[in-house]
Amino acid sequence: MTGKLLEIINTVRNNKGLPPVAELMEAQDLRAELGFDSLDLAELTVRIEKETGIDIFADSFVLTVGEILAKLGKQ
Amino acid sequence: MKNVLVTGIMQGLGLQITKTLLEKGNTVYGVALENNAELKKLKRQYKEKLVVILADLADIEKSCETIFGKTIGYDIPLHGFVNNAAIAYDDIISNLQYDPLLRMFQVNVFSPMLLTRHVIRNMLLHGVQGSIVHISSVSVHTGYKGLAMYASTKGALEAFSRTAAREWGERGIRSNCIVAGFMETGMSSTLSPTQKDRIYKRTSLKKPTELTSVANMAEFLISDQSSSVTGSNVFVDSGTI
Repeated sequence: MTGKLLEIINTVRNNKGLPPVAELMEAQDLRAELGFDSLDLAELTVRIEKETGIDIFADSFVLTVGEILAKLGKQ
Repeated sequence: MKNVLVTGIMQGLGLQITKTLLEKGNTVYGVALENNAELKKLKRQYKEKLVVILADLADIEKSCETIFGKTIGYDIPLHGFVNNAAIAYDDIISNLQYDPLLRMFQVNVFSPMLLTRHVIRNMLLHGVQGSIVHISSVSVHTGYKGLAMYASTKGALEAFSRTAAREWGERGIRSNCIVAGFMETGMSSTLSPTQKDRIYKRTSLKKPTELTSVANMAEFLISDQSSSVTGSNVFVDSGTI
């Protein structure tokens, strides 16, 4: 799943003109380190939902890569 | 051409908007309570360009699942959404009852808000710079006896639309309201000829608002012709003053 998540995160980064990141780390902050704002996180959410059927923001905020992986049950 | 979700397409304004969008070559995903003779006729004419989705917007969760889960899914990009479906609960305020008020807010406000959520998510997924059009009413801006509750649902939509425009503008997603005047539709059928006449006399043109005029404006706002129009209330109301 980490590979797929990396692909999705780089798609969102690419859409806002940011270069791809080479790897993901659980502690990475989605806003401060990956450069996402709330609208980018919305796009990230729907792209993840399309692949997994899981809405990562359905019941709480997620702040880091690790929290996304936890929501997806693949940590 | 564009894929456009339209609600309330069985009759009146929704049917006219559907016809206008189809005539311009768009594909319409139209939400209706039932598949009536008019819609069957349109379907025969436009075939796969018209997809009729049967759903009751009073049941918000079920209708969202029917529209987005079962019909549109993740693979069909939406370019436009015309929020037209509405019900009218008219009475003077001292007679106000909670249950019909709640039902009207479910259909006129809560359901469109949830549908907008899905529409924006769809547009984000497909990178579409889409257009959302809410059908509002001149009753928001000019008081009419008996319409306080109905007007408040449309006022809520106008506020929602303006903020949606602000929030999603940087992604190229537009949101506008058409402030429609009184039309000769089922929605105004409970009014007596005298009441209607009084309403029409308050307009500059002294006549009802034409369905085609409102539908043409909806088509314009959905199209790229209106690419710089967002966060607006466009009055199509025979010049109510």
